[in-house]
Amino acid sequence: MRPARRQVVVGAVVIAATVLPPLVSRVAPGFLDELLALRLAQAAAFAAMALSLNLLMGYAGQISLGHGALLAVGAYTSGILTGRFGLPFVAGLAAAAVLGGAVAFVVGLPALRLRGLYLAITTLGLLLVMQESILQIPWLSRGSAGVALPRPVAGDFVFTRNADFLALVLVVVIVLWLVDANVTRTRLGRAFRGLREDEQVAASRGVDVARHKLLAFLLSGAMAGVAGCLHGHLLRFVDSRTYDLNLSLLLVAVVVIGGLGSRLGVVLAGVGFGLLPEILRAITPAAEGWDHLLGAALLIVAMARHPEGVAGAITEARHAKAARQARAGVAESAPTEIPRLPELPRPAGAADRPAVAPGEALLEVRDLTVRFGGLTAVDHASISVPAGRIVGLIGPNGAGKTTLFNAVGGFVRTASGTVHLGGQRIDHLPPHERAARGLGRTFQRVGLARDLSVRENLLLSQHAICRYSAVAALGFLPGAARTEAEAGERADLAIAAIGFERFADMPAKHLSGGMQRIVEMACALVTAPELLLLDEPSAGMAPGAVENLAIRLRDLRDALGRTLLLVEHNVPLVLDVCDEIWVLHAGRVIAHGTPDEISRDPTVVEAYLGRNVPAEPVS
Amino acid sequence: MSQALVAGVVVGGIYGLMALGIVLVYKGARVLHFGQGEIGTLALFVAWWVVDERQGLGQPWLLGAAAAVVAAAAVSLVFERLVVARMVEASRLAIGVATVGLLLFLFSLELKLWGASPKYLAPPIEGLGPRVAGLHVSPTQVLALVSAAAIGLGLTAFLRRTDFGLGVLGAAQDPAAARLVGVPLARVSVFTWVVAGVLAAVAALLVEPTIGVFTAGFMTRFFVFALAAALIGGLTSLPGAFAGGIVVGILDQTVQYWSLGVPVPGLSVLAVFALILLVLLVRPQGLLGRAAA
Repeated sequence: MRPARRQVVVGAVVIAATVLPPLVSRVAPGFLDELLALRLAQAAAFAAMALSLNLLMGYAGQISLGHGALLAVGAYTSGILTGRFGLPFVAGLAAAAVLGGAVAFVVGLPALRLRGLYLAITTLGLLLVMQESILQIPWLSRGSAGVALPRPVAGDFVFTRNADFLALVLVVVIVLWLVDANVTRTRLGRAFRGLREDEQVAASRGVDVARHKLLAFLLSGAMAGVAGCLHGHLLRFVDSRTYDLNLSLLLVAVVVIGGLGSRLGVVLAGVGFGLLPEILRAITPAAEGWDHLLGAALLIVAMARHPEGVAGAITEARHAKAARQARAGVAESAPTEIPRLPELPRPAGAADRPAVAPGEALLEVRDLTVRFGGLTAVDHASISVPAGRIVGLIGPNGAGKTTLFNAVGGFVRTASGTVHLGGQRIDHLPPHERAARGLGRTFQRVGLARDLSVRENLLLSQHAICRYSAVAALGFLPGAARTEAEAGERADLAIAAIGFERFADMPAKHLSGGMQRIVEMACALVTAPELLLLDEPSAGMAPGAVENLAIRLRDLRDALGRTLLLVEHNVPLVLDVCDEIWVLHAGRVIAHGTPDEISRDPTVVEAYLGRNVPAEPVS
Repeated sequence: MSQALVAGVVVGGIYGLMALGIVLVYKGARVLHFGQGEIGTLALFVAWWVVDERQGLGQPWLLGAAAAVVAAAAVSLVFERLVVARMVEASRLAIGVATVGLLLFLFSLELKLWGASPKYLAPPIEGLGPRVAGLHVSPTQVLALVSAAAIGLGLTAFLRRTDFGLGVLGAAQDPAAARLVGVPLARVSVFTWVVAGVLAAVAALLVEPTIGVFTAGFMTRFFVFALAAALIGGLTSLPGAFAGGIVVGILDQTVQYWSLGVPVPGLSVLAVFALILLVLLVRPQGLLGRAAA
């Protein structure tokens, strides 16, 4: 949607939400009585809760079974501040957001070390602690009676009527929706989804995984605080049982049923499940309680059939169909012809990258040792890579090549040694900061966020050069909008360079293996890295494509003076394309030289190449 | 204080039983079974319905207990066959969330069928019981302790001494190799899930008399305690899980004892939560489990 049109639509929706409920309830009370207004406001608050959990579970892939704890924080905070200390509603709302975010932040700290179901344990534990301990503290709840929340006051006007409060709830939900939309269209949302899919790949594209995990918890907690505050002021009274395990788990069901990561689906599912008890009661009193059973059953079915959720399954099927159709247009699904790879100039956001003259050492690894328990994977290895050259790293299986790559990228702990990039020492830096200094890489298994589209992958890869703050992202402030536009242009240039226009909006997982490799290369190149580490670029390629790959790699070196370091099992390719070669054996460097020297070196021939190797490189 | 220790060992044995179930499923399927506790609560409701004289059938306690165990086994069997068995290719996380769905389903079903008011299940044996070395040990506590120890030891012996048991342990370590030597993986999976459910039912029957009343969600509270116990054993060690149960039980009861009169309620829950965080953050492989690769 064009920005101007978007503003008109948002403005119209806000005005409708503000004006309609109070007006209808006064002019035509038959259409909106107080009970219906209460139910609608509850449903809207429920949708807000679902949005909050969706941000955490759907985008960032972090499980929370205890979201009720954060809702309770919001309701209690605002209740105590407004009810007992007489502060205005706005202050209660703000404090609920801040405290909800703070509690979620602390809950998220274990997520830095733990993954998956371990988080389910800690969040379940938090809910139990909240219900049995914190919320029972006499000072907070004055016994176990709970907390009363007065309706907001604005001047002389009190939001006593449910229809008036409904308008307020709707406006806040719209604001949450807009913030959520800003998360998904900026580097924030891409980083969340990138780390959900593969933390190592996200980090190698410049995403600070720890920071963004905590940000996801913080934002989700703040939204939960707001939702809890609204819900509490709507009910006017909450106690420790209001936000129990049952509600927390129903939220999980709603988010999965709505489609993990689908904003509209989750809001619709939230409203639906918010109104369902009322609808069931209207049908027959015996149907009470069936909404939770239905939610649970759908959750189980969704997980057993389509782990990406019910709505996710629908989009999934649509994408798969589109991918088949688009691929049918291409002559072969595994291309033998590798398109020209993007050769973009250095981005503006990369001003502090090291500058190295061609021929001087760009990467300098000295005395590097990596141990896994008792096993020494890399043993005092020293290699250097001159700028503007293609350098090969070969060795038999288990020689330590990929481990050395991972040590350079910052993914394994080194026992000794240093790594310099362009004269700057980088071995103490986390992976995303190495990426920001111009280190790009590809992975042996294809390093793409599989659920993200080709274009989103290219945008994710520019994370390090999209320099705007989280606040700018949440508000989509001019700086963020400008940077996003530039990043979008670069992504489109890269897509055009590889000729993938028709696949641009397709999830990467629907492309063939060979096409995914090309997209991955484009992703690694879109920030114009100073040094590109390629881990087995020819793996899974047809022989014709490998020949072509050699041409493309030379293009990269010759057109813009890129520096490449490649690990490769395809010896003929390495001998053909590399300017110099390092040979690893059992973690040690056993030889270094030009392809000619290496193919004649007796130690290399014995250790690795085998005895019957042609003296002339095969091209 | 010593009285708290005795109570701690008794409830600890019960937590240990549930923890055995958690470890069995985790070893077998690499999944945390969040529905396990609520299977226990459901079994408890079944026992209550069979035993209660006014609202139920008024049958003897033993019959109620048997019905509870059968119900737990049946729910576990149905869930394993209908859901877990069809998710062989799915991610472990998806199966875990499916067990969360089971938890929500059972929780809601209990509320729907039996309402929110607390239920009281008469203990199997009434009375205060003998004083042993100056400490009160109720018959219920003796029964709990003896059953927990017997079941724990019996299960371990079954797993280590019989061909099927060794098959279960082998399948947990290397499914592909286990299949090659003829371990029936489908039956092993059914076994682990059903045993986990039965253990939860037994634990529920044993722990209920120490509290007195129960409502929907009752056992999920203890499931968190049992998780703490299983984590101490690194989620993979059966003896570690049982020992972890005793540790958690003693922590729970002594903190309850010491915090009488402290204005912050529920300190024992807080202590167990702190223990969980500590183990997860400092030693995720557990105190007794092997380091995961």
